[in-house]
Amino acid sequence: MKQLLLFILIGLLVNNLQAQSFYSDNGTAEFTSSVPLHTFTGTSSSLTGMIKTDERTVDFFLDLETLETGNAKRDKDMLLTLETDNYPFAEFFGNITTPFDPDALNEEQAVKVQGNFKIHGVEKEVEVNGSITVTDEGLKVQANWALNLEDYNIEPPSLLIIKVDKQQKIAINILLKPYTEEKN
Amino acid sequence: MYRSLLLFLTILLSSSTLFAQMQRTRAVKDGPVDELFLIGSIAGMSTVTNLEAKNLNTLIQHNFGTVNGGIESFYGLDQGAAVRLGIDYGVTDNLSVGIGRTSVEDNVDMRFKYTILRQLKSGKIPVELAIKGDLGVNTQKEQRFDFSFQERLNYFASVMVARQFSDKITLQVSPMISHFNTVLIETPGVQPENTHYAIGMGGRLKLDERKSLTFEYIPVIGSRTEGTYNHLAFGFEIETGGHVFQMFLMSGQWFTEQHLLAKNTNNFFEGDFRLGFNINRIFSLGKK
Repeated sequence: MKQLLLFILIGLLVNNLQAQSFYSDNGTAEFTSSVPLHTFTGTSSSLTGMIKTDERTVDFFLDLETLETGNAKRDKDMLLTLETDNYPFAEFFGNITTPFDPDALNEEQAVKVQGNFKIHGVEKEVEVNGSITVTDEGLKVQANWALNLEDYNIEPPSLLIIKVDKQQKIAINILLKPYTEEKN
Repeated sequence: MYRSLLLFLTILLSSSTLFAQMQRTRAVKDGPVDELFLIGSIAGMSTVTNLEAKNLNTLIQHNFGTVNGGIESFYGLDQGAAVRLGIDYGVTDNLSVGIGRTSVEDNVDMRFKYTILRQLKSGKIPVELAIKGDLGVNTQKEQRFDFSFQERLNYFASVMVARQFSDKITLQVSPMISHFNTVLIETPGVQPENTHYAIGMGGRLKLDERKSLTFEYIPVIGSRTEGTYNHLAFGFEIETGGHVFQMFLMSGQWFTEQHLLAKNTNNFFEGDFRLGFNINRIFSLGKK
């Protein structure tokens, strides 16, 4: 029994010591939306993310009210469509499913991440292709994917009678820095 | 004892991996109150709401004859419309400039609005404060006189203070002054005033995220031209996409406040009001 206890204690200690976390709350998230003859982008610089390389977990969320398209009326429409009073975040939590070497310095590594993406109160399992580059500063993370609004019960807004495209291109770019404190 | 400790440690060990998600916290904790008014004017009176940087508002303002003409004039619609066409541009988030032309007196006006204070959600700044200036030129060909450019000028200035008292109610007070370099004696024995002062009042009752009821009232303080009345308007506005449509009943015929203040000869309470509507279309001309 004592040995088991010792094993668990060591396990807990090792788990904390090895917990290699990278975190930032000022990454960039961008969506591109199009209607006939017109394309506009919404950008936020408040993307929050954490990657734990030992656990291979990827955790991102964005306060949707930080997205700006450059037109306050359009921003208001967007927030009403996303019902941000009820569902303020877009969030993803998942795992890196392809090989990733945290010691490969300055090498852009293509990765696949699988997990749950949640927006507008609807959660779906998704697989996202991206890249991680290990640098002296931390992990540079980039990813692009397409979001189908109808999958998340989001009624595509319209500009007059022209509906915005159901497919929204999403891109994120963030530099996650080494992080030692428990964020919870 | 051992069992309890073992259980505790096992739960701790597993929870550190099972519940590893970060706590979701809001990034927006404070900031300016959104949209005290839907747009920069109610019917004719300006609001504290300013344009964002690099946003362009194209504005068409109309009103018709007074409704008390009855069905014979189709409640004023058969009479010619007074129209102001204008554009305003957000130079910065605090400063906008604009130009417009009104069909009445062919008045061309240039204006600016500068936001000094924004009301904050936290209440640290409880009001929104802006100033406005407008310079007009009467370009109408005058048969009787040969006015110089200087004599054709008219001016307006106001300080606008507004507060959103709740999610639904916004009220504004606007001390204002208008001045006309030249006034004509249209009625024998009635000497028009060159300068008028008023305390304008406006308000918005939000019905939902896209619709509001509004009012504006411009009571003149001190001496005024005989035969003129305080301007009053009640409106309904609706926002769709980048458009704001405004429909209203207003006593004054103009969309420039110097004229509403000094030249309104219609008494709203005697049925001398007219139907009008404004169309605002806001374009984004680039990222800030």
